[in-house]
Amino acid sequence: MKIGLFIPCYIDAFYPEAGIATLELLEKLGQDVEYPLDQTCCGQPMGNSGCNSDAAAAEALFVRNFAKYDKIVMPSGSCTHHVRDNFDAIPQTDEVRHVRENTYELVEFLHDILKVDAFPWAEFNHTVGLHNSCGTLRALRTASMSELGEKPFSKPMDLLSKVKGIRFVTPKRPDECCGFGGTFSVTEEAVSAKMGVDKVRDHYQAGADYIVSADSSCVMHQQGCAERAGVPIRFIHIAQILNGAAE
Amino acid sequence: MSNKPVNHARAAEHFLEDAPHLQFHDERLWDMRQKRDGQMHMLPEWQDLREEASRIKEHTLSRLPEYLEQFEENAKKNGIHVHWARDGAEHNRIVGEILKAHNARNLIKSKSMVTEECDMRPYLEKQGVTVTETDLGERIQQLDDQLPSHIVVPAVHKLTSDVAKIFAKDYHTDPNIRDPHLLAEAQRQAARPVILHADAGMTGGNFVVAETGTFVVCTNEGNADLSATVPNLHIATIGIERLVPRMADLGVFIRLLSRSALGSPITQYTTHFRGPQKGGEMHVVLVDNGRSARLGMEDFWTSLKCIRCGACMNTCPVYRRSGGLSYGAVYSGPIGAIIDPTFNERKYSTLPYASTLNGSCTNVCPVKINIHEQLYKWRRVLVQHHEMPFVKREIMHMAGKLMGQPKMYRAAIKMTEVSLGSMPRFVLYNWLNPWGKHRENPHPVKQTFNDWYRKNREKAKPAAASETKK
Amino acid sequence: MSAARDEILQALRNNRPTPENHPLPPVRTLGDLDASRERFIASLKILGGDVLEPVEGETLDQAIMRRHPDAKVICSNVPEAKGTLPVEKVKTPQDAATIDVTVVRAPFGIAEMGSIFLSESQLPINSFAHLGQHIVVVLSPDSITANMHTAYQERPEFKSANYGVLMSGPSATADIQGVLIRGAQGVRSLSVWFA
Repeated sequence: MKIGLFIPCYIDAFYPEAGIATLELLEKLGQDVEYPLDQTCCGQPMGNSGCNSDAAAAEALFVRNFAKYDKIVMPSGSCTHHVRDNFDAIPQTDEVRHVRENTYELVEFLHDILKVDAFPWAEFNHTVGLHNSCGTLRALRTASMSELGEKPFSKPMDLLSKVKGIRFVTPKRPDECCGFGGTFSVTEEAVSAKMGVDKVRDHYQAGADYIVSADSSCVMHQQGCAERAGVPIRFIHIAQILNGAAE
Repeated sequence: MSNKPVNHARAAEHFLEDAPHLQFHDERLWDMRQKRDGQMHMLPEWQDLREEASRIKEHTLSRLPEYLEQFEENAKKNGIHVHWARDGAEHNRIVGEILKAHNARNLIKSKSMVTEECDMRPYLEKQGVTVTETDLGERIQQLDDQLPSHIVVPAVHKLTSDVAKIFAKDYHTDPNIRDPHLLAEAQRQAARPVILHADAGMTGGNFVVAETGTFVVCTNEGNADLSATVPNLHIATIGIERLVPRMADLGVFIRLLSRSALGSPITQYTTHFRGPQKGGEMHVVLVDNGRSARLGMEDFWTSLKCIRCGACMNTCPVYRRSGGLSYGAVYSGPIGAIIDPTFNERKYSTLPYASTLNGSCTNVCPVKINIHEQLYKWRRVLVQHHEMPFVKREIMHMAGKLMGQPKMYRAAIKMTEVSLGSMPRFVLYNWLNPWGKHRENPHPVKQTFNDWYRKNREKAKPAAASETKK
Repeated sequence: MSAARDEILQALRNNRPTPENHPLPPVRTLGDLDASRERFIASLKILGGDVLEPVEGETLDQAIMRRHPDAKVICSNVPEAKGTLPVEKVKTPQDAATIDVTVVRAPFGIAEMGSIFLSESQLPINSFAHLGQHIVVVLSPDSITANMHTAYQERPEFKSANYGVLMSGPSATADIQGVLIRGAQGVRSLSVWFA
């Protein structure tokens, strides 16, 4: 199985350590991973804004980059959601369908495809609160949703529970959106920032040292809110913890 | 009516400045959501009920003409006068004429979103009719000359002190009252004589049963019952989408409505009107006002399934932090954001963007409207119809082009301040600037992942996109 | 007027989704089918209603006086209670406004909700159920149906009454700062007397 690694633009530019951890982790798990150098974006910002025709170039490039792989893995729930559910600015050829059907968010790939049962190298002696992005939660369904009253499950929690030393806390509103929302963070700046502050305070008051998430876009926003509001909490991508980061 | 797009973001910013109101609003609505969850957990059949409700509604909408005719026939048989209104103006005219024929000058009414849609109160008042809202929240909003900010709890954005001030002006109560019980009692005492002397009563209708010609009104205060049983003239304004085929279908909807709305098992009053009371007269006005057109919108017709419970508002993190009035429309919150553009695309073009697309609204909807997916689809439609602000549209256009050109994209990333193509820097700067208003910017890094990979993975050879083609 | 009707119906015919894709689901009876008095009472209390329990062989009139000692005008539409105001005196909707306690019999109750049903058959005038300050409802424990599904399927009153109200506890509001207030506009209290 040949894996193509997609690293979303904000991870590339602002959280390269999350990308590196993703790559190293997959390699530790014995996977054959390649990162096509000419990648840019999955098209989500344009798609989510309603400017779907403007997503065409990014989507076409994405397919050119990734069509040759058996599986495409990315450390981002929202990008996976775009590729899987909304990637329709370009004609739906066999290549496009192949890409869409074989794109995985990192957690679901580890949990559902590789079925990883141990991360012997991982130890994280901190108290963490898990932030599920709305993309992973309500689109990819990597965890149970509070609104539906379904039997509780959580793929990211399943994976994190295999890490030595880690302790968990649950915020009061675990499913509440943190307010990033792509361009929403700019066009609805005030509401977005308020949601972000409320989110990080909720985790902090629950006793978390770290907020861990499978989505760096949420983290970028939450970190900015926490720093401005003076909430002393740190942020880390789930790939880093699973790859053995100590802090 | 102004056609100018609603500035939800600015109104929300204003709402956020008032910490006590904001905190109460957020917590009160979140509490309603929590209570709704509590009810759901008590009913193992909850998801079955949602599915049934959705299917019954979709079926009914697909046969709406037949069911409306069936309702009309049965209602007429029972002595109800049935009227049809294409739009708000026609509705108001019909109601005005009925009142005039009875020489009715004092109208009491219970909450009806359709009469808000039709902007009926000012119309009737111009005709010399005094209209008094009898729902406490709606009455507060009427006295304060505001739209309801929530479809179930119209004055949820107000604190006791606000109500005390409003009542002091109109009811001459002490403006310093801080006990809601005293204010509610003041409303009861003020409303009673108005109710007893009213010439006509008006209600909405939550559900309409085709097979019996019945319409159902749900309230907690009993004010619809007072409005309908004290005066001898009862007019009900009802949207044409409110039908269900069978009486038994109500079992599904009544079980869902109040549980979804307030987290209480049922409204205190669930009233079935099938004909006029002894010596009375009953009129039903069936209102279209854009509904028949909406039924033809492939991506949006299922919004007509809505039973107006407000659960999507209660769960919406944006609504809770911006308040219903910030939507500048009769319908606010997620459901408002997908319905309002059907009334006026330009004016409400901003509302589908007042969402993070988080999807919680869809999950709580008792009739399974895919609200967040419709928000997404509305954005596409609005862009196609040129209803997106120019700067944002241009930025997306430039960004989209850039994302298709990896070399230019890499060059742009390398610059500390990304300038997208030919977009003048100050425009982009101004557009992205709000990020930093209440948030720190992300920290700059020494090297991007792309740089790191080039340096640290030998097998990575610079390759053009075309070379990686299958 | 009929132009509006025809136009609306025509637009609906033109615009509707394909009816064949949306069959009517059969009526279902879901949920807890416990029709016990205990379940009814528990539900009634959640919604702020109460049970009027007789103390040592009390009559209904005595129980009402005990529950509502300040009541001056009690008007009963049931043989079990005499009241103070003959029900024949209540002729217009407004006449009910002077009553402190109204007494009626409900043909059935719903265990799931603690609801009681009233229609014009049980009321001298429809406003009778709403304008009085308090209401006492006589209910036979044998006439409790399990839930909303069974109620709508089994009770003929829904299809025969011109006015049929399910009252679930007293009038209530939480419109001022979320504070729950019983006795908003309609009755201030609702008590059930089993008989």
